[in-house]
Amino acid sequence: MRELSLHILDIVTNSIEAEASRVILWLEESVEKNLFSITVRDNGRGMSQEMIDAVIDPFVTTRTTRPVGMGLPLLRQAATSCGGELRIKSRIGKGTTLTASFLHNSLNRSPLGGIAETVVNLIIGAPDVHFLYGHRTDAGCFTFDSYWIYARMAELDCSQYMLVEPAQKWIMERLQSIASTA
Amino acid sequence: MASSRERDVSSVCISDILSDVMAKVPRDAIWITNQAHENVIAIAFFKELTAVIFTNGAVPAMDAIDKANIKKIALYSCDLNAFDIAGRLYTLGLRGSY
Ligand SMILES: Nc1ncnc2c1ncn2[C@@H]1O[C@H](COP(=O)(O)OP(=O)(O)OP(=O)(O)O)[C@@H](O)[C@H]1O
Ligand SMILES: [Mg+2]
Repeated sequence: MRELSLHILDIVTNSIEAEASRVILWLEESVEKNLFSITVRDNGRGMSQEMIDAVIDPFVTTRTTRPVGMGLPLLRQAATSCGGELRIKSRIGKGTTLTASFLHNSLNRSPLGGIAETVVNLIIGAPDVHFLYGHRTDAGCFTFDSYWIYARMAELDCSQYMLVEPAQKWIMERLQSIASTA
Repeated sequence: MASSRERDVSSVCISDILSDVMAKVPRDAIWITNQAHENVIAIAFFKELTAVIFTNGAVPAMDAIDKANIKKIALYSCDLNAFDIAGRLYTLGLRGSY
């Protein structure tokens, strides 16, 4: 896909569809380690090993009856084409941790794209999910908790939609502050 | 590489962005790409495309070609670049997909 944010939208949506009540998105960008990684951890319904093997295989037969998403095969392709990999660890009833890694300097790597917008839209679209977004670069790190929005809703007595722009702005400012100068 | 029965061709698209093809290309299209990945063949199957043409001599892995054979999707590997392949198809009267 054109932006890694679209992959993130896809995999976090999977977590929400798996009935997670808590989702952690952790992004790590390091020029020094030549690594760009996306980790999503949820406490949703989880998958068996057979299921994991099936969902990363683009030809699995359940997909032939109705064209289900190619989300995970495309993410795996994106990672491997950038010298990285897709790892999925999961336990039924416990949750899933998915990590997509990329070589930071790979020319094939799509830009991250609109991550602030993606995160805020995901939070607004799933008000029952506690969402934590963390982002680290060589210059520093920050976290954004969905509680940021709910605390201000109570404080300002406004709807969550009033907080979309302020939340995006908050995240974008933090992104600026940890932007690599390298 | 993989053979198919006679089929109509609706249009032609050139793209290396698989998610775009997944979203936009109509059935019976020919897809020109340099991505020789098994995901290309899986998408060609879901989208009921007529053929995939790999540019600049790209060739998918053998097990991906086997999958295309089973799914009856015609695969071509062509030494020309996308521009020249598209040019030839254009002169045959074919037009773009989207
Ligand atoms: N975090 C997760 N927890 C539990 N199951 C998951 C998780 N992620 C993926 N899955 C399973 O893997 C399947 C495939 O995911 P994928 O994103 O590739 O396609 P999809 O979600 O079915 O379709 P689409 O993304 O187009 O809605 C899902 O349908 C789901 O059953
Ligand atoms: Mg999905």
